[in-house]
Amino acid sequence: MTVADVGRKAPRRPRPAPGAGRRSPLRVLGMVVVLGFTAFNLLVLYWLIAASFKTPVEIFTKPFALPVRWFQLGKPLRNFAYAWDQAGFGDAFLTTVVLVAASSAAIVLVSAPAAYALTRLGVRGSGPLTNLIAVGMGVPFQTVIIPLFIGLSTVHLTDSLFGLFLVYVALSIPFTVFLLTGFFRSLSDEMEEAAAIDGASPLRTFFAVMLPLARGGLITALILNAIGLWNETLLAIVFLQSQAHFTLARALFTFYGAAEYQSEYGGLIAGVTILVLPMLVLYLVLARRIITGLTLGSGK
Amino acid sequence: MADVSFRGATRYYAGVDRPAVDRLDLEVADGEFLVLVGPSGCGKSTTLRMLAGLEGVDEGQVWIGDRDVTALPPKDRDIAMVFQNYALYPHMTVGENIGFHLKVAKVPRDERERRVRKAATLLGLESYLDRKPARLSGGQRQRVAMGRAIVRQPQVFCMDEPLSNLDAKLRVQTRTQIASLQRRLGVTTVYVTHDQVEAMTMGDRVAVLKDGVLQQCDTPIGLFSKPANLFVAGFIGSPAMNLLPARVDGDSAVIAGHAVRLTRGQRAQLSGDEVVVGVRPEGVDVVDFDDGIPVVVDVVEELGSDQFLYCSFEQAGTGDLVEHAVTARVAGMSPNQRGAKVGLLPRREAVHLFDPVTGSRLED
Amino acid sequence: MATIAAAPATQRGAAGKPGPTGTSGGHLVRKRRLFWPFLAPALILYVVFLVAPTIVTGVLSFTRWAGAGDTPQFTGFAGYLRMFASDSFRSALVNTLMYVVVGGIGTFLLAFLFTMVLRDMPGGKLVRTILFFPNIVAPVALAMFFSFLFKSDDKGLANFVLGGLGIDPVRFLAPENVTLTVIGALVWASSGFYITILMAAVDRIPPYLYEDAEIAGASAWQKFRAITLPLTWDVVGVAGVLWTINALKIFELVFVLAGPGTYSPPTAAWTLGIYVFDRSFGSQGTPDYGGASACAVVMIALTSVFVVLLRRLMRRDTIQF
Repeated sequence: MTVADVGRKAPRRPRPAPGAGRRSPLRVLGMVVVLGFTAFNLLVLYWLIAASFKTPVEIFTKPFALPVRWFQLGKPLRNFAYAWDQAGFGDAFLTTVVLVAASSAAIVLVSAPAAYALTRLGVRGSGPLTNLIAVGMGVPFQTVIIPLFIGLSTVHLTDSLFGLFLVYVALSIPFTVFLLTGFFRSLSDEMEEAAAIDGASPLRTFFAVMLPLARGGLITALILNAIGLWNETLLAIVFLQSQAHFTLARALFTFYGAAEYQSEYGGLIAGVTILVLPMLVLYLVLARRIITGLTLGSGK
Repeated sequence: MADVSFRGATRYYAGVDRPAVDRLDLEVADGEFLVLVGPSGCGKSTTLRMLAGLEGVDEGQVWIGDRDVTALPPKDRDIAMVFQNYALYPHMTVGENIGFHLKVAKVPRDERERRVRKAATLLGLESYLDRKPARLSGGQRQRVAMGRAIVRQPQVFCMDEPLSNLDAKLRVQTRTQIASLQRRLGVTTVYVTHDQVEAMTMGDRVAVLKDGVLQQCDTPIGLFSKPANLFVAGFIGSPAMNLLPARVDGDSAVIAGHAVRLTRGQRAQLSGDEVVVGVRPEGVDVVDFDDGIPVVVDVVEELGSDQFLYCSFEQAGTGDLVEHAVTARVAGMSPNQRGAKVGLLPRREAVHLFDPVTGSRLED
Repeated sequence: MATIAAAPATQRGAAGKPGPTGTSGGHLVRKRRLFWPFLAPALILYVVFLVAPTIVTGVLSFTRWAGAGDTPQFTGFAGYLRMFASDSFRSALVNTLMYVVVGGIGTFLLAFLFTMVLRDMPGGKLVRTILFFPNIVAPVALAMFFSFLFKSDDKGLANFVLGGLGIDPVRFLAPENVTLTVIGALVWASSGFYITILMAAVDRIPPYLYEDAEIAGASAWQKFRAITLPLTWDVVGVAGVLWTINALKIFELVFVLAGPGTYSPPTAAWTLGIYVFDRSFGSQGTPDYGGASACAVVMIALTSVFVVLLRRLMRRDTIQF
């Protein structure tokens, strides 16, 4: 039965099941669309990064070529330098990093105990209360900006990064609490009970047992909020007026009109790249976590 | 109706050098119930899936009747498959599930209903036709899966461990039902299981696979009485056959001082001077300590109808005690006791001899 | 994400009664004392920054108010009537509905098409990661990319390509075309998200169901109709709700693409989100907080109506595998 295997090699790719490669018109169409779509996304990314090193003439006349002119002139980073210094993206970058980091941390700090209280304390009415908070995800920001603006201006917190910080934290609570209730609910009772039997106080149980267990969820919440706030534009437009306080998205929004007027397209695209690149890097590192996190709630 | 044949069929999986199924040659006669059995990972399911067309064939061919179906998609092979998890559509009723294949094949509505009703009657499912699978018991779901296969009126049934999700009692009942149904319909059937009892009770013939290689294909009696090699000998039968290594001395194999005679032919087939003596628990007589292989009874398992004695014996020469080395099956309620010293005597006609190097059986 | 789909939280340890075991009962009571301290910060922020402002917006919608320096005057439904009569609101409403309905149909058709291909495609995971990518890019950045892509003169990338093919330039961003252009951009930018949601559900469907359908000889479409769609139906419903919520508040993409960027685009291209912004914080003229609030109320009302309708439409028995 066992014959010496001489000159026999496993194929690198085993033959697919017959019929698997069947070309129904729908599958062919789907394949074309999928590949076209994917190629387009990659092309967009290429175009963006290439264009941020180009002169306006190159951008419009050789959109798919590699950048040449600024490299010849020995100033390859000219567009970025312009955006960073002249257009205020340097300051905005710093502002955004600080604001986004502080806001995301604060959001999780406020939401995690709330999510824990709503899922694991067995208090009557937790369910409806969770739903009430979750409904907040459906409220368009446009619905609240007018009263918020009026309210914050009476306490002099408009055109203030602290004011925007408060708004960011508060308006991110529904999504974050909802996301974290899912995580806390999935934890088993046993660890908590074991801690209780060991005589740990409820507060200690939360910090020493439950938070570490929900760490994956907390990190996901942190990342998703950071991405969302990094890209947030509407609230930044409404609540920030002076350039000194601008976030990246806000700075880009203002720069857009000016750049159009001055034909400063290179600087504009460099600005877009400065806004997009950090998120792209984050995405390349954490793609799976970001994707599953963002699609989590809808799956269940 | 048609026969099935695998001709050197080989299947590789990506990134694995050893084939999952290696040059399988197997003929299944028209109307035959063939069982593929083996431990998990032996390639039995892959073999079935190659027949069904769910798996590509890397080398060799698969034939159904006089057609080479190697490159045909599943739907053109005229087969039906019963999956391990039944693959029932949870959102369809029993009737819709049974009729799904006919609907896809655009069978007219009234003929479809007639055939679904007929299959349901055959399986005792008439009163459940409007239920969803979630509201059925495990056995009923299994029958729906059968119904979906029957209603296609295929040339070949492919069944992939269809009973493994049932509890022990229901499994015994269902296995006779399936076997008798298959005989009534007369449809060639290839049935995969890891359970050798299922294989022995259901199959007209049983094919034993290990590591993708066919070990033996024979009738249950053939497998049991003439296992082709050590693997089959150990795999078929419960409790397993006693396999005792022995040294050949002249024309006899000697186990713990007891001699088992070899024929001249057997002696000639042997590659060395070691031999494995196989004897099933029921092929052993319990005699006085000095009259057979001297053993000590470690455990007595009383089943009422039978009694199993698990015994150890001293290795000749070294004097080491080999624990639970031999199992003997004796009549139930026999007065054997733990710790008793008895002799075990293999009956001459119950002895199987194997070459320890090649594993092959030494023919008489 | 699944706001409305949130199942009621499981009630642990039968609230009010002592726990099942004597030892944990006391602990449970002590634990429950944490409830308000833990929940209060989030709840207070939520109520102060979301619930209360929503109510205030509702009240303001019945007034006429030019903001700081002016006092709100109660005008009843007059503000609403005036708004419904105005062209700018009408086009904002029609455009927004276009985004929700046409964009939604486009996105979901695309997503469905993708589920047929991506399920057993080699390298599908990588493709999914690439498709999802626009979702981590700021809408304002996407909008700027599209403004380069669709610039009306032959400077635009699209017209550059069309010109290369010998086709006359198309004015993609002219007010009469911009809604369709933005719908295209929106579908491109968001479909990755919905594809990912649907594919996550498709991946949970046991593969043997597709194998059985393969034996039956089902086509890609039949597999979709008989397996994929019915078994992902509840996720499709949730995705539909998410789409509605997101599409109804579309703002940056249109604002940047249809206009000069710094102030509002022509009214023919407006959405409800732009209407609110223009009437309150848009740089031109005196603010009309009453009108903006009325439009915001319409937005939240539309969201509720769509969500309720969708949920009613999609309601079905839950399916277990």
